[in-house]
Amino acid sequence: MNFPVWQLGFPGGLLIAIVAVTHVFISHFAVGGGAFLVLSERRAYLRNDEALLSYVRRHSKFFALLTLVYGAISGVGIWFTIGLVAPEATFSLIRTFMWAWAIEWVFFFVEITAAIIYYSQWDRLDRSTHMAIGWIYFVAAWMSLFVINGIITYQLTPGRWLITHNVWDGLFNPTYWPSLFLRTSMSILLAGVFGMLTAMRERDEVRDRINRWAGQWMIIGALFLPGFAWWYYSRFPDFSRALLNGTLPAAQHPIRMGMLSAALILLIGLTCAIWKPRAMRSPIVAVLVFLAFSLMASGEYLREFVRKPWVINGYIYSNGLRVTDLPQYQQAGFTHEPKFISTDDLSSAEYGHDLFVSQCGSCHTVDGYRAMRKRVVGWDPTFAKEMLAHIHLLRGTMPQFAGNEQDRVALGKYLSSLNPAVNFAGVSDRTVAGKQSFDARCGHCHTINGNLRPLKAAFEGGGPDQVQALLPALDSMSPNMPPFTGTPEEAQLLAEYIASMSNAQAATAKGGK
Amino acid sequence: MYQPNIPIPAADPMPLPGPIWLLKTLLLIVFFLHVIFMNCTLAGGLTAVFNAVRGRSTRHPLSRKLSADLARVLPVFVAFTVTLGVASLLFLQVLYGNLFYTSSILIGVYWFSVILLVIIGYYGYYYFNAHSGDKATTASIVTLSLAVLCFLTIGFIFTNNMTLMWSPEKWLAMYRARPSGAHLNLSDQSVIPRYLHTIVGAFGVFTAALAHYGTVRFKKDPEYGGWLVRRSTIVFAGTTVLQFLIGMWFLMSMPKNVALIFFRDGVGVAIFAVALLAVLAATILLLIGGTAKEPSPLIHAGFGMVLITVALMIVMRDMVRTAYLNPYFQMSRLQVSPQIGIIVVFLLTFGGGLATLVWMLRKVANGKTRQAAASAK
Repeated sequence: MNFPVWQLGFPGGLLIAIVAVTHVFISHFAVGGGAFLVLSERRAYLRNDEALLSYVRRHSKFFALLTLVYGAISGVGIWFTIGLVAPEATFSLIRTFMWAWAIEWVFFFVEITAAIIYYSQWDRLDRSTHMAIGWIYFVAAWMSLFVINGIITYQLTPGRWLITHNVWDGLFNPTYWPSLFLRTSMSILLAGVFGMLTAMRERDEVRDRINRWAGQWMIIGALFLPGFAWWYYSRFPDFSRALLNGTLPAAQHPIRMGMLSAALILLIGLTCAIWKPRAMRSPIVAVLVFLAFSLMASGEYLREFVRKPWVINGYIYSNGLRVTDLPQYQQAGFTHEPKFISTDDLSSAEYGHDLFVSQCGSCHTVDGYRAMRKRVVGWDPTFAKEMLAHIHLLRGTMPQFAGNEQDRVALGKYLSSLNPAVNFAGVSDRTVAGKQSFDARCGHCHTINGNLRPLKAAFEGGGPDQVQALLPALDSMSPNMPPFTGTPEEAQLLAEYIASMSNAQAATAKGGK
Repeated sequence: MYQPNIPIPAADPMPLPGPIWLLKTLLLIVFFLHVIFMNCTLAGGLTAVFNAVRGRSTRHPLSRKLSADLARVLPVFVAFTVTLGVASLLFLQVLYGNLFYTSSILIGVYWFSVILLVIIGYYGYYYFNAHSGDKATTASIVTLSLAVLCFLTIGFIFTNNMTLMWSPEKWLAMYRARPSGAHLNLSDQSVIPRYLHTIVGAFGVFTAALAHYGTVRFKKDPEYGGWLVRRSTIVFAGTTVLQFLIGMWFLMSMPKNVALIFFRDGVGVAIFAVALLAVLAATILLLIGGTAKEPSPLIHAGFGMVLITVALMIVMRDMVRTAYLNPYFQMSRLQVSPQIGIIVVFLLTFGGGLATLVWMLRKVANGKTRQAAASAK
């Protein structure tokens, strides 16, 4: 949390996502595609299939142009981007895994050289040497995945590393193997998809043969995905599984998208590539490429998603806060050491904005992605200050606030300044006003009758008076609750709403039975 | 009121995973190799533009040939520049991460654009690769020129970042002025001469390499090989004179305490003196070699001297960085805890990788011979 924050106007995580998703899409193709090239070349020699061989030559050129340029450079791009957006975590990963990266670099160097030789030396090397270069390429590319997979999975499941700080414990962590197999399957699938993409330029009869061949790759890759994904999921930490199982409803979209994409890929593969390859026309191939991208993107999104609020689980939070630094921040304040902040007045809302940028900005914007303005409607400075002491309890996806009371006052001031003060008593419909108050003060941690800390049981059968009597003493009822800071009128509206909703939902439930 | 001191992010609490001497040595070696390929990417690209334009006239077939030759290797130069650059960045980050990430963030917009520029430039070189020599068109030459411009811009952005990372006293004011990362480090008066020193130096290295290539080509194509040697050595001499002037400007643009390490500090004086002697020797050797009727071993020796000069300049560059950073950062204070097991695995992998590379390159070289033998039959 000592680095300046690159303020782009949107969370840098989005930029990482764009660079990373396009990179992994190409880089997984670069792994599986290597095996596809050399096995297709072998197939052409064994069957004396000149048409297939000339296709493989053209495919190797496409492969080189895509993987050597966009694939390799976007990989470097991830490094650039994570260094800009998450410098603490990047620095930590580099210090921890420098030698792993150095090993990966050796494979990368061999891979790049082999790829250049493979695609450019068809006429100068004899068959067996050319195929040997192809195999060297594939092994180096897969080994590159073998190493990087350790660093990626470590972020979610650092396992024993948290205790030992041993690099091997970090690399071969609890999700290492399922992830490796899952990614290998994905790379086989992508080899098939891209194989069909370049086959579009072949004449019909040749294209049919290639589609059947490439289609087998795609189907084999797709068939292995569910099993390995389940294995991977079974090794997730409990909090990650809880996130996927409903704590955050947003996770359901990529889960559905990924499953649907995989199912459609399998279906199209069986019908259009194997059964009736002539049907594999350009639009179908375009759909396949889209589905494969959507599958890859869903997987990567979920992998990032289930790690919240961590960038390295149990060690560094998404905003760069190191767990071990938290007590010092909470005791001595955010600025106990010189910081990149825009003002020297630590009681100002401007300083509050600095705190927002450094502590919230990695996941939130004011108005755009995960917008804060709409989330803090109805917050007054005191309530906001108190809420900040409990943010890690909201849905379990946020780190603790790294600052002392003075810092919470400043950030509270800033957050409450995002909206005009709400006069609940001035809203004509009492139920609407009550709901607004509930959303602002209780709804971040509670529902009336939902999954998130439901209040129904406590207030079912009671009246507004019972609720209202509790409001002045919220913070003494539980150290995890902020005090009620509204007016008596708002207290009355809120109490009426909670009581009526608890009883109404109870009545509906009984009636339903 | 909070009194801001100079914010300098602390080094990561994880100790350095290897001894400083080893990490520093690896950094300097891979950076040296990176510089050689980077010089060929940049100066090779500019040379290709010049000769492609000149080669459009039938009066200059040799220029056309050179531009076509370069078209074949330029993408390969980029590949190795990037690959070796990645390794340099790895060791730079592990040693100087707290400084390097900060300066990168402060120039974030430009720093991020490096990736886009490399992709555009790299594809540009590939386009020219497919449309060069007799197939060269106005479009392919314009594309090549734009690609070179991309690489020139990348060099400028790197110069800005590398100089900003050792200027923590500027950071807070820059951040407060524009936290969006839309900065360069132009207030540093050494940025322009440093950049020019790099670009002109690139021409020096590339022309020496080209002269070396000319002597190889001379055996089969005396006219082309001889022309390459003559031209390259003359351009090399020209760049050396220019580089001398820019080098003086560069030295004077540095703070006194930094520049003086090459005049007062024993090691600094010695390295600087040997580097100057090496470049002088290189110039004399290349000029004499270039005027000989037949390619002379002097060219090889001259090229070797250039490589020695580059190596020494890289050591000097590191001394400059250490001197700039001295008030803020001493590497010797960093904690070290070598990860012995994985270092051994790295060394084994490196050995295996090197052997594989040698095997592949020998196969390619032999393959060429076989084809030549087949066509001779």
